[in-house]
This record gives sequence, structure tokens and C-alpha cells, in this order.
Amino acid sequence: MNAIDTAIRAAAASITVKGLTKAYDPQTVVIPPMDVELKAGEFTVVLGPSGCGKSTLLQMIAGLERVSGGKILIGAREVQDLEPKHRGCAMVFQNYALYPHMSVFENMAYSLKVAGMAKAERAERVAAVAKMLGLADYLHRKPGQLSGGQRQRVAIGRAIVREPGVLLFDEPLSNLDAQLRHDMRIELADLHRRIGATTVFVTHDQVEAMTLADRILILNKGRIEQFDTPKAIYHHPASVFVAKFIGAPPMNILPVTGDGSALRLADGQVVANAPLTGAYQLGIRPEDIVVDGKADGHAVKAALRFREDLGSHSVLAVDLGGSIVRIATPFGADIADRLELLLNFPTSRLHLFDAATGRAIPGAFGAQ
Amino acid sequence: MIENARSLNITASIILLIGMVYISGPLYLTLTTASHSYEFMLRNGLAWYPGDQLLANMARVFTETRIPIQMLNSLLVALGNAAATCILSFLSAYAIVYFRVRWAGFAFALILATIMLPLEIRVITTYQVASNIFSPLNALLDVTGLNGLVAQVFGAPVHLEWSVLNTHFGLIAPLVAHGTGTFLFRQFFRTLPTDLFKAARMDGAGPIRFMFDILLPLSRTSFAALFVLTFLSGWTQYLWPLVGASTPDMQTAVVGLARLVPDAEGTVPDFPMIMAGAVIVSLVPLLMIALLQRYLVQGLVLSEK
Repeated sequence: MNAIDTAIRAAAASITVKGLTKAYDPQTVVIPPMDVELKAGEFTVVLGPSGCGKSTLLQMIAGLERVSGGKILIGAREVQDLEPKHRGCAMVFQNYALYPHMSVFENMAYSLKVAGMAKAERAERVAAVAKMLGLADYLHRKPGQLSGGQRQRVAIGRAIVREPGVLLFDEPLSNLDAQLRHDMRIELADLHRRIGATTVFVTHDQVEAMTLADRILILNKGRIEQFDTPKAIYHHPASVFVAKFIGAPPMNILPVTGDGSALRLADGQVVANAPLTGAYQLGIRPEDIVVDGKADGHAVKAALRFREDLGSHSVLAVDLGGSIVRIATPFGADIADRLELLLNFPTSRLHLFDAATGRAIPGAFGAQ
Repeated sequence: MIENARSLNITASIILLIGMVYISGPLYLTLTTASHSYEFMLRNGLAWYPGDQLLANMARVFTETRIPIQMLNSLLVALGNAAATCILSFLSAYAIVYFRVRWAGFAFALILATIMLPLEIRVITTYQVASNIFSPLNALLDVTGLNGLVAQVFGAPVHLEWSVLNTHFGLIAPLVAHGTGTFLFRQFFRTLPTDLFKAARMDGAGPIRFMFDILLPLSRTSFAALFVLTFLSGWTQYLWPLVGASTPDMQTAVVGLARLVPDAEGTVPDFPMIMAGAVIVSLVPLLMIALLQRYLVQGLVLSEK
């Protein structure tokens, strides 16, 4: 650990958002009033489909976008009316946004130069960051002479050289190819472990969210669907939206009806016992469905539509009571090609959602 | 498409050759005429081969005509036009692309309209305004009836006058009002990543610093290209300098050249000397193109490397 690591760790500040809204006009509300608190040093991933307001949220924290109402606090300071440079944030952009005519050194030193730091101190600071990111040999190159991964590192270096209290990432990995994206993900996780900066990372890629985040903030149309650890979000999704958004293939959602003692599918087959009445949505992850097993007696018949062999596992798509259900078979399971399958839905793995609101109903099948 | 047919090659070469002769023929005649004496021309008419009087004719241009001082005027007009156009275009494009200006689209449309209404079309109104810069204001006061009021109170209506005719400023200013440069810079700015502006803001650079530290260095080639283009157009302007400047010492070289042809009927103009003058006047833009040709092409394809 060197000086710059400690400095950033010390600067890490919490972000508190109180009643924050963004609306371009009364008809187009991007973010309805939002309250959320991101802890100091925490790695938060803001996840959501395109147009859900996640980039707008990030830019409002950064100060690049005006807030329509509410407050943003970084540490204990209200910052919503401050210029970006006074907020102590740094940002990594999707297309890196490096200055093409400046060398790597000049790119990283620019903010320090604008801030009026002495030349010798600037050089020292940049050298320390460059060493940390493995860029020491490239300081005199122009961004055009670097590979995608190196440019990404320069962009990160440019952000952390200011020792910001908050580090913001706007889909920084979406321009890289699959292999590089994987490497950068590991590098980012490693970097965060070392410098411990409060990090807000916007993405629409659930793999990035699951692997990087301390907590994931899932946005849908500007509203927070769920804000929790990756594990909790995967195992206890708070709504149908979250359930369908996380996981590949995503969670199966089936319309069911309760008759007071059991839940029935649209075609009348019983999938589980529960003292419920009325319409619900039943969720189960593809890997939780047991094929040909002999669990608690409720076996349902389903017609096989097609299968995809992915080597480590196969994904079966079956027709169950009129809806398509995807099943991820466990590693090595050999399932013969046939038209009809018997499926078991283990009760402990079921998720129940309200049919109208889509919100989860916890504890519907006893303790979960 | 690359064709290898021999006949096609020959035809293409012939067409090219005809084109070259068509373009360089007059230039050749200019040079040959410039290199003969006046007497030779009077005796033999058109000179088809070079003579030995070129330097003598050029020397006469310097001693007997006002072309040297007029070239200085041209230089001033061309440089002023190029510099002012570059600065104005850069600033207006910066405002249009990077700021959420109310009516930005409308302003840009107005700027583009200047391309469709060149100086040649509005030369009479331009002359009117140049002869009194305040004439639009005077007209406005008259139309709105304000002047009647002023006349009642102060005894006389307001009538302001400031003529810029026959000044260097008057020669340059109407040429600068042209939207091509704004369009060029706008297109160039559009090719830059939009996050650059945001990144600079995050780094603490305000709009002015962003302009000087980032936008300006990136626009070097566009600047050079626009500078060459507007310099050339300023140097070769004919109509506006012709009406905008009335004394020989204020006229530009291109106008001065045309004035060397005597107005009187019957006398044969001193074509060798005029052609020598034409050669001298052409040397400046020629030099300019030779030196900055690289930027001219780069700037026009709008690619920053």
C-alpha cells in the first residue's frame, strides 16, 4: 500500500440522496423522488435496462446534470448546487473521453494542472498512479497509440489521480471485447480492494453487477426496485422485474391460482401446497427445477420444445400449461431426448409474487 | 473500380490531356505574353512562344503601377478576412454545439442562409450599409415613429452617420459574414466524442479552459484549412473591393489589375505589363497553396489524426 492508496481510502465519502428527482418537463419524469444511501468505501452497481435513468442518476451525482428537486450529500456536504470540480467526484466514461492530443501523462495530470498544483508534485502523483495501474512505460504515448484496455486504465488513472472521495463509472466496460472485459472486471475489483474508494458503477450487464458489487441498486423507470447484496438479489428478488432481470437464463415466472390449499397452473396441475386463494405469479430459477426427480409428490408434466447444449449444462425449454419454462440441467445430467418430462418444483426454491403489483410475497411457503 | 481495358485507358488519358490544355493554355499565354515587349505585341499580336522581357515587364509593374501597394491592401484584406472568419466561425460553432442555447437551431439556420445569399447578390444593400453603418438604426427609428418624438422634443430627428467605405475595415467586414466556416467547425465538433466536454468539466476545466486547452488544439487542421480557403477567397475577391474602395491606394491588386486596361477607346492596352502583373499577383496564393496544401485536404475531409 502506498501513499495514494491511503489518501483515497481516507477521502472515501458516503453518498446520501434525499428526495432526488429529475424531470425534463412535467410529462417526462426520468427519476421520481428517490431516497438512497451509499456507504463510504462501498462498491455500488446501479443496474437497469437502458432508459431506466441510471446514467442520469450518475450524472446528477457528478454534477453534469442539474437536479430538478431534492438533495445530494457527499459526506456531510450538500452538493446538488455545486460545480462538478467542487464535489470531489471523478468519473470514468464509456468511451474513455481521453484528450486525444495529450499524452498519457498530460491526460492524467490535467485535472491537477487545472487545480493549480505545482509541477513537481503533479509528476510525482501521476507517477504513483501510473505505477499502480501498470502504465509507467506508456506515459509519453498518445491515447491513439494505446490498446482498449490501456486506454481504459488511463481513464481510471485520470480519475483516481485526484484522490476523489467518490469514483463514478459510466458503463466503462461496454466498449471492450469479452476477454478484455473479463480481465478489466478483475482489475477493477482488485483496484477497489486496494484503494477502497466509494464507487458508483453504472451498467446494464448483470454479470458485471454480480461480480463487482458490494450492493446492487436495481432501477426500473427511475424507481428503485431493490437495493441489496448480489446474493440477496439473486436469492430473494423483491419483484418480478428483478427476478427476470437477474440470472441467465432469467427466472421463470408462471401465472398460478390458489384454491385455498394448493397452487394450480393455468392447465390445472398442482405445483405446490399453500393456503392461498386468488391469482399470483410463481417464480423459479431454471437451475432449481428438478427433472424426473421424486420430490414432495407434486410432479407436473411438460412437453419438451427444444434444448441447447452448452457443454457445462443444457438449457431445456418446455411448454408448461401454455407458458415456456426454461430449465438449466445440473452439470453432467444426462437427459434423454423425449417429448414429455416430469418436473418437480422444490417448495423451498419457489418465489411468490403479487399478480397485480409484481412485488414479492416473502414467507409464502414458510421460512425462505 | 479499376478497368484494365487498353482503349479505355487511352480515351481517359486523352480526355485528361484536353482538360489540362484547356486549363493551362490561358496560363501559358499569360506567361508568354508577359515575357514580350509592348512593341513586339503590337507588331505580332498574340505571343505563342516565350520571350526575354519577363523581368523587365515585372520591374515595370513595380515602378509604373500601384500594384505593389494594392498587393499590400490585398494581403491585409485576405489576412484580415481569414483571421476574422476563423475566430468568428470557431466561436459561433462552439456556442451552437456545446451549449444549450435557446433558438440555437434558428441561429444556425440564419448562419447557413448566408451561404445561400452570397455577397454578389446583396452587394447593393451591403454598399448602402457600408456607406453608413447606422442606416439600419436610422431606418428603424423612422419606421417606429421614435424619430418623430425625438424631433418634437429636441427640434431635430436623430440621424447618425458612419461610413466605412474606402477603409480596410469596410473591405473586410462584409466578407467575414459568411457561414461556411461555422458549418465546417460544427461538423468537426460533431465528430468529437461528446464526453470530452463532460470529462473536462469533471477535471475542473470551465468552458473557457476547455476551449483553449482541448478544443483549440484539436481544431488545428480545421483552422488551417479554413484559413487557406478564406485567404484565397479574400485575395481573389473582385466585386466588393471594386465598389467598396474608390481610391487607387485603397483598391486591391485584383481590382488594380483590371484598372490597368485603359478606359479610352482605340489604344491597345499594355498587355505584356498587365500579364506580368497578373503573374506577380498570382504568386501569393500559389505560395499559400503550396505551403498549406496538406492541411487543406486534411481539413476538408474532417478527419483528425
